[in-house]
Amino acid sequence: MSESNYTKEKKVGEGTYAVVYLGKQLSSGNNIAVKEIKTSEFKDGLDMSAIREVKYLQELNHPNVINLIDIFMAYDNLNLVLEFLPTDLEVVIKDKNILFTPADIKSWLLMTLRGVYHVHRNFILHRDLKPNNLLISPDGLIKVADFGLARAVPGPREMLTSNVVTRWYRAPELLFGAKHYTYAVDVWSIGVIFAELMLRIPYLPGQDDMNQMEVTFRALGTPTDKQWPEVSSFPGYNKLQIYPPPSRDELRKRFIAATESALTLMENMLMMNPHTRWDTTQCLESEYFKELPTPSDPAQINILSQKA
Amino acid sequence: MSSAFEAELILSRPYLTRKQISRAQKNTISDLRSYSQKKLVIIKYLSDMCVQLKLPRKTLETAIYYYERYHLFNAFETELIYLLATSCLVLSCKQTETLKKVNEICQVSYKVRKILKANQDMMETFKKRIWQTELRILESCSFDYRVNNFLHIDEYIIKIGKSLQLEPNVCYLAWLIAYDVLKSDILLIVPQHCIAIAILKISVELFNLQNDNSANENNNTKWSKVDYSFFETNESSVNEAYFEISNFYINTFDICDLQANIPPNYPHIGIESFIELKQNTGRQRGLGELENEDINRDPFLNNIRSTAVRERRHVLSSKLVIDEYNAINDTQHK
Repeated sequence: MSESNYTKEKKVGEGTYAVVYLGKQLSSGNNIAVKEIKTSEFKDGLDMSAIREVKYLQELNHPNVINLIDIFMAYDNLNLVLEFLPTDLEVVIKDKNILFTPADIKSWLLMTLRGVYHVHRNFILHRDLKPNNLLISPDGLIKVADFGLARAVPGPREMLTSNVVTRWYRAPELLFGAKHYTYAVDVWSIGVIFAELMLRIPYLPGQDDMNQMEVTFRALGTPTDKQWPEVSSFPGYNKLQIYPPPSRDELRKRFIAATESALTLMENMLMMNPHTRWDTTQCLESEYFKELPTPSDPAQINILSQKA
Repeated sequence: MSSAFEAELILSRPYLTRKQISRAQKNTISDLRSYSQKKLVIIKYLSDMCVQLKLPRKTLETAIYYYERYHLFNAFETELIYLLATSCLVLSCKQTETLKKVNEICQVSYKVRKILKANQDMMETFKKRIWQTELRILESCSFDYRVNNFLHIDEYIIKIGKSLQLEPNVCYLAWLIAYDVLKSDILLIVPQHCIAIAILKISVELFNLQNDNSANENNNTKWSKVDYSFFETNESSVNEAYFEISNFYINTFDICDLQANIPPNYPHIGIESFIELKQNTGRQRGLGELENEDINRDPFLNNIRSTAVRERRHVLSSKLVIDEYNAINDTQHK
């Protein structure tokens, strides 16, 4: 028997299946976040997102993946203790008072890819990568978070739902309603995040699911059977407007500050055909990470709002 | 918020030895014979449910693990077993990503149990009680989702069988045995891949009993070359499963499903086959056991779990427990 080790000091958020509190781990004095899981009857009992979150975070231990410290039951409620992460990439991108450099972007992208590489190496698909789920620790490290939609790589005959990933970050195979897909869906999302970091506005902001296809293919070209065999056999393909893929020059004009190898990396992450899209290893080994500028030291990136 | 209330820190121990299981069951099961009989009834019930709902073997396996695990730390009550088993299945569907609506599961449950006059009110109460039980089941597993996550017996029979280049009929026999194995306690003792290897070994040996000597030798040398460490396990774990399974068949062969399902062109397998296998193993040993005295001192197995403790923490790493112990001692010294 010991004393309670965690305090809940301030309620900081409430989601569909949990209430999040800030608190302290008394044995170490560290700040922590406590996620109290609601059990609701409308959700068929214990929420699937809560189960997935615990299930996958228990398997993962990496500097760029959020750390699940502890699980406890109190007053018949399930509580998850997570490391305290004060901000996220969405906040940083949206705050126009924060200035960041190409080296900062490279550092964030590198950390994200490392985290996701580790997730994939453990046979897990994240399925909800977006700036809002890339949290930032007090020492500037990116932490991949929110495993509420994650799942293990399925067996060959298992069917998956294509209704995953927040719309703007959804890969074309998901937009087509594919029942089988791979790690490539996560790489697509990172590609869109990379573009968003350079543009500082969402790159493919579709208004609804139909419009998302339109926006995606207008920007990146409609896939054809030549580059993606049998893509035309997806239902709904025939109704699509055929756009040509953008030329390198058009991309250069859109992403003014990007270097050639940055564009190459982005293009390969945003490859229409999931089979030829780069995996995280290819991304990490790309020229972009070898050329100057070197990625910023995470602890040195200033993400405090400059507005005094 | 004040922190001055009692808290419990529990390290997850997903697998226990036979003696440890018996010790824990002493607190929760007053009539072991009745528990064993009911367990067979429940496994039949869960199997029927899985057939009706078209759920794979892994969902059934996980539900049975939950059911057995629950009874290590919670009292066995005959009148609650169907509710509990249904709750185990609901949870197992979530754990193995084979989702079904609770409504559908409840309807099928009534159908399988031939309860015809189920009305809406009954159904709502049933659902509520299922949800109340979910967390208790998970707590008996210390919320350790590493178990039943990637590993399932039937999948690993296929994978390991392929990797050892065993013949399809050997693997098929193994797959049949794997169903009966769920009725034993082995799921609580060693991880599923060890069980899969042990079943494959039994299957190879059952075929060998019938073959002439040259084929025998061939298969035996093949098996003696199997490197258990390559499959992330060791000889004593595989042996433990091997003995548990062969003993299970020797003791309960008549109620097993194996005999009725062996295809016609397969060798004859009877209770004497398993007795022969056991005789052939000689001096091999399974997992080591602690002295009774030590097992009786183990609070994890002896203390009755109380939901009155307000904060019950479950951790996976012993390092965290040690760190915290040291931290508490440090502050007390200061």
